[in-house]
Amino acid sequence: MAFFFQELVNGVTNGALYALVALGFSMVYGVLKLLNFAHGDLYMVGAFIGYFVIQWFGGPTALTIPVPLLLLIMFILAAGVVGGLGVAIERFAYRPLRDAPRIAPLITAIGVSFFLENAALLLFGAQYRVYNTADFISLSSGIQIGSVTIDSVQIMVLVLGLVLMVGLRELVNRTKLGKQMRAVAADREAAEMLGINVNRTIAATFFLGSALAGVAGVMAGLLFNQVNNTIGFTAGLFAFTAAVVGGIGSLPGAMLGGLLIGLAQSFVTGYISSTYTNLLVFALLIVVMLVRPSGLLGRAQLQKV
Amino acid sequence: MRGHVILATAALGALAIAGCGSSGSSSSSSGGAGTGAATKSCVASIGMEGPLTGPVATLGQEQLHFAELALAMDNQANKTKISIVQGDTQLNPAQATTVTQQFTANTKIVAVVGPAGSQEVEAIGPLMARAGLAFISGSATNATLTAGKYPTFFRVVSKDSVQGPQDAHYIISNLHPKALMIVDDQEAYSTGLVSAMTPVFTAAGIKVDHESVSQKTTDFSSLVAKVTPATTVVVLPWQVASNAQQLGRNLAQQHKKAVIFGTDGLFSPGTFTINGSYVSSFGPDITAIPADAAIVAAAKSKYGSFGTFGPPVFAATHVVDEAIASVCKSGNTPSRSNVLAAIKTTNEPASILGQPISFGSSGDLTNGKFFLFKINSAGSYQLIPG
Repeated sequence: MAFFFQELVNGVTNGALYALVALGFSMVYGVLKLLNFAHGDLYMVGAFIGYFVIQWFGGPTALTIPVPLLLLIMFILAAGVVGGLGVAIERFAYRPLRDAPRIAPLITAIGVSFFLENAALLLFGAQYRVYNTADFISLSSGIQIGSVTIDSVQIMVLVLGLVLMVGLRELVNRTKLGKQMRAVAADREAAEMLGINVNRTIAATFFLGSALAGVAGVMAGLLFNQVNNTIGFTAGLFAFTAAVVGGIGSLPGAMLGGLLIGLAQSFVTGYISSTYTNLLVFALLIVVMLVRPSGLLGRAQLQKV
Repeated sequence: MRGHVILATAALGALAIAGCGSSGSSSSSSGGAGTGAATKSCVASIGMEGPLTGPVATLGQEQLHFAELALAMDNQANKTKISIVQGDTQLNPAQATTVTQQFTANTKIVAVVGPAGSQEVEAIGPLMARAGLAFISGSATNATLTAGKYPTFFRVVSKDSVQGPQDAHYIISNLHPKALMIVDDQEAYSTGLVSAMTPVFTAAGIKVDHESVSQKTTDFSSLVAKVTPATTVVVLPWQVASNAQQLGRNLAQQHKKAVIFGTDGLFSPGTFTINGSYVSSFGPDITAIPADAAIVAAAKSKYGSFGTFGPPVFAATHVVDEAIASVCKSGNTPSRSNVLAAIKTTNEPASILGQPISFGSSGDLTNGKFFLFKINSAGSYQLIPG
């Protein structure tokens, strides 16, 4: 039973990360119908920002500020910078193509992804940068229930992930900006005719989605310890899958999809074999898509004739 | 608007391509004022294939740095004007094939250093043979590569059929596990070593849990949960040291006491520092070889810290440089055929690797060996004698 709970904790933690990145995917798709393949690379940029913040404040073994303040700066800076980067990408790479055939922004998104990945290679080099989280957040801190271990970084990821997801849901459902986002997602032209500033709404969507990816990048750095220019690819792939399985465009769907993938990976690894993790996880997802083609919480698109 | 679209697309494409691959870019080192022996202007190009970008770019960049370092030193010593043409393979056989096609079509290239991975050698071996182009790898260790299929292939490191059983016997004799977990990283290098080790373990009556994870995996908590109290050793024939560091952290996080035994790619002081772990490497720690002090100093000042992937490529580049210089000394112009012939007769009594370099008829390094290190509590690598 302890083994089951250990895998549950591992799966939920990873799932929370996937969910945060998937939310950005889903938000952007919701308002622009664009698969932003550069989204995983924004997560990578966030992870680098977290790493450099640690270095700026003395490095993991000689921090010059308290750890809670360090974490706060890491998360705020990553959210702000990556959010701003997302807005810039939208402004210069996607907005000029907004009325172009859908394949054009898709290809541009792939180009932006390569650009970010290789810009990071040129700027930061190829080597893995290591957070060394254990040097400033003890591995023994956290909760130990029998043989089940939940360390404080995992707890932080779970709590912060949950807070961000609930916060985003409230923002979308209860604020003026959220209403504008939903209106643009439902019908961009109609929203514009109603006086909604579409460009600003889309920019805000990109900022929020990218900021979440930035925060997720810092969480990943703290949890997995390592960052280099290629980590965004895998994260982006799983997040994209999570968004699609949950129902792309649906925020609760992205959260559910992320958790589902995290748990599936964890339990397949634990109870069957790591050799077959991706095979079985994606087989499960194919089954889900066959049963519910629009995703678990997605709505079937009305066909206009 | 349309103009903006075209401009933006073109700019992004150009930037992506510029950063994406360095295939075809070249760097040369000017000849110094050494006491070289080449009697007339000795000009040639050599190709350098390595994973310069991608998940193991950290290894490929180290290899490139040491190739450039060797070239600079040899050009100065031999008064040659040899330049390097870089080819980024990303440790991907398809990409390696594309790069090799470019190299074989470039008649200025008389020999190639690399590629890094055994799977890449398998892909490009026939192309190199057809072009009569010698290629020397500093890290491809799969035993079958020198079975006669690729007559122009050489390597300056030993092979898996030596390393796998040697490591397995060490684990059995010194760590005495009743059960162990062995995890491959789904690359030919890793699966080859697993295949070489597993029969030795099972023959010794050890229970083996074979697992497999992608090199892109960054979290091992689910895998580590499967490490039972009876599992006292986790064997990681991996190429990404930071992944092993994370697995070690996951072990500590879950209060598991198993010892990590890694290979080659895990030799990375500063990155893989789990106390009590072992690393078996095809390359020595050249910082502990007094004769290499000048090279170590030059490499550190120019490129910073390094592991064991760079020095063998230095040795491979040096072999090619010396072969070209010897062709020039004999009054000939370097060509693929005469450089290949010169490489075959290589006989260096000493090398950066702390051992002589000569090749057997199949291209294997004569008397190649592996080195075993243990990591202490300070994260330092201590050579285990014998």
